[in-house]
Amino acid sequence: MNYALAAVLLPLLAALLALGWRRYAAWVSWGGTILSLLCAIVALQQVLSDGPQQMLLGNWPTGLAIRWQLSELTALLLLLTTVIHSLVASYSLTSLRRLQVAADFWPLSSLLQMSLSALWLSTDLFNWYVTLELLGLVAVAMVTLSGNKSVAAALRYLLLSLAGSLCYLLGVALLYGQFGVLDVAELATRMPASESHMTTFALVLMTAGLMLKGALWPLHLWLPAAHAVAPAPVSALLSALVVKGPLFILWMLWSQLATVELSHAAAGFFLFAGSMALLTGGWSALRTPYAKVMVAYSTVAQLGYALLAIGLALRSADPAFQLALWLFIIAHALAKTSAFLAVGEMQHSLGGKRVQMLKGASQTMPVAMFALAVAGGSLIGLPPSGGFLAKWQLLLPLWPEWQLWLWLLVIFLGTLLSAAYVFRLVVLAFDRADPVKPDFAPQLLPQWLALVPALLVWGLAFGSHSFVHWLGG
Amino acid sequence: MSGDFWFDTILGLVLLTLALATVRAQQLAAAVMIFVVFGLILAVAWARLGAADLALAEAAIGAGLTGALLFSALARQAKAESAPVSKSSSRSSWLVLLLSLMLTGILCFSLWWVPLQPEHHLMPLALEHLANSGTEHPVTAVLLNFRAWDTLLELIVLLLALMGARLVSSPMLQTPQRWPLASQWSKRLAPLLILVAFFVLWRGATAPGGAFQAGALLAAAAVVLRLNHQLPPLHWRYGWVRLIVLSGVLAFVVAGIASALLQYQPALLIHWLEWPLWLAKPLILFIELCATLAIGLTLTLLVVGEPEELSS
Repeated sequence: MNYALAAVLLPLLAALLALGWRRYAAWVSWGGTILSLLCAIVALQQVLSDGPQQMLLGNWPTGLAIRWQLSELTALLLLLTTVIHSLVASYSLTSLRRLQVAADFWPLSSLLQMSLSALWLSTDLFNWYVTLELLGLVAVAMVTLSGNKSVAAALRYLLLSLAGSLCYLLGVALLYGQFGVLDVAELATRMPASESHMTTFALVLMTAGLMLKGALWPLHLWLPAAHAVAPAPVSALLSALVVKGPLFILWMLWSQLATVELSHAAAGFFLFAGSMALLTGGWSALRTPYAKVMVAYSTVAQLGYALLAIGLALRSADPAFQLALWLFIIAHALAKTSAFLAVGEMQHSLGGKRVQMLKGASQTMPVAMFALAVAGGSLIGLPPSGGFLAKWQLLLPLWPEWQLWLWLLVIFLGTLLSAAYVFRLVVLAFDRADPVKPDFAPQLLPQWLALVPALLVWGLAFGSHSFVHWLGG
Repeated sequence: MSGDFWFDTILGLVLLTLALATVRAQQLAAAVMIFVVFGLILAVAWARLGAADLALAEAAIGAGLTGALLFSALARQAKAESAPVSKSSSRSSWLVLLLSLMLTGILCFSLWWVPLQPEHHLMPLALEHLANSGTEHPVTAVLLNFRAWDTLLELIVLLLALMGARLVSSPMLQTPQRWPLASQWSKRLAPLLILVAFFVLWRGATAPGGAFQAGALLAAAAVVLRLNHQLPPLHWRYGWVRLIVLSGVLAFVVAGIASALLQYQPALLIHWLEWPLWLAKPLILFIELCATLAIGLTLTLLVVGEPEELSS
């Protein structure tokens, strides 16, 4: 637990130092990230050897204090956050000099890492609200890093994010008014026993707020504009990490606080929303003419898998669905980091925002294109990538029960769509007859750094056994 | 019918009327002005409900600062539309109406279900531990001891608001010419505001008050002085400006690390944000003082910060 605390505090300290010493902002922030990566690894190791731990902040009795919980799952999510942030930070070190406001990127990205880490560890409804608020504000501020062209998208993101926060807060207030506690474990002992319209209302409000913040269908419309307009490392962080926070809280709420009947009803909605996200997100990704918007729509579609997994896990006791949810989150985070960094790198060197700029990229920027294709492989779910592992966990329990074959069909269609939009890029990249000439000589190091997360997600296959073991599959 | 009843009824009706007037106002400037009045009346309503802390916060932040922020945003609007008129298409206003009606329905429905006297499971617990918290006021104890982590994160939220505002370049704020009456007035007002701010801060230990309200008052003094050209520009590139803006969060983290080191026992969990009993009061005062200065300067920069002051 001490190491988990350090993994939260190090980025905070780094952000404060980076704001004070602007000249060394990049190195301070990068160093903080690397140190917190080491702490997160030790924290995971401790959880695996000693079992889950908890910490009452301020050492006040339960209920009065905010409780932190470090389980295998939260330790893994903490590690994922630090890994992705350190990869993106390393990429930014090599490439961010092009950006004008580079000095402001570093403290913001460290604060992003801090707030997400605090969110994973917390088990308190109000503390979650504060971390969500932090996460939303930091994301909006980072979107505005690309200058005046991003203000409209950022403002829309800010307003919707605030509306989502208020919805969530209203739900928390209703629950607090009724039960008088905020700690999730305490609430879990009281809430399912006394189900009323009130608790249903509160849960619905909180769900709406979280879905708006997490860009889950049908409240996803702000995401493509905001993620596509941000600088490449920022898009990677937003798509890989920020939208996962609300998803985590959504799962915790429905799995712990709702009664069985209520969660079954909600599961139906989540299944429907997930299917729609998969189909409409995939279709939009296929149709859009802009490369980054395509990657952003692919996030909308991939979040559909997570919603499907949540719906199925709420309906059935099979732990495989839960496992699938977390594997999706991990695999998508790694693959999307790679995809956004690679696309950003190619956009910078080849010029232009359209998908057409990728023409002949396999010749002009082979490493970045390879990264994009490999990440795309995991998004499709080609074996043995992380995306495949997650999909396999989702598919296996679906086979024997014919009532669930509808979802099988949805997953199949979603896979086809993602294969279509990934191959659209790959085919363009191998069209070497008349390649788009780079405006600048492509830099090699950022391209290799963009490739690392994609290789990691394919490497997940080697660790699949331990993942299944840790996440209780 | 007692006098209280009539007072509350009129208060409620005035609030509703003001809210409607804000929404229906034709000119944005008028809407902002009515909104400020709305905030003040809302503060009275909070006071009537016995929530003095909320009333103070609403008056200082909800009415005062939000109003100032809205006015400074209005002043930065492009000169072309010198009298900005609130426009909205009828379709979007129907949508807004529908959403508001839904929300009102939900709230009325929940009023029906929420017990009038909610079960405060935590209230007795908080009062029981109040003696060990280093402060005599329960609200301050919750904010700076029991749930100090929330407050630390909220201070970062404020910091982020400033960082976000810095990144969006806005046109210059047209400050008026020197106006003798205003500058004389601000010279008299500023010391008084500073005095009241520190009084509110000090009172926070035993009664309603605290860093946020005090910071808002400090910011009000600084804004008035700055608008009258009696305060030099506060540039973000000055180290001390950044240090003061960061001081709230820094004080929290330093206090947390120091008390963790003081109570360090090997092989045990670190006591994060657990103030040692004998040091609790000074630590809380130290944090509140730094937070007040940080909040004051942050809010000042948000309201009157010029683009070249904010950029680095």
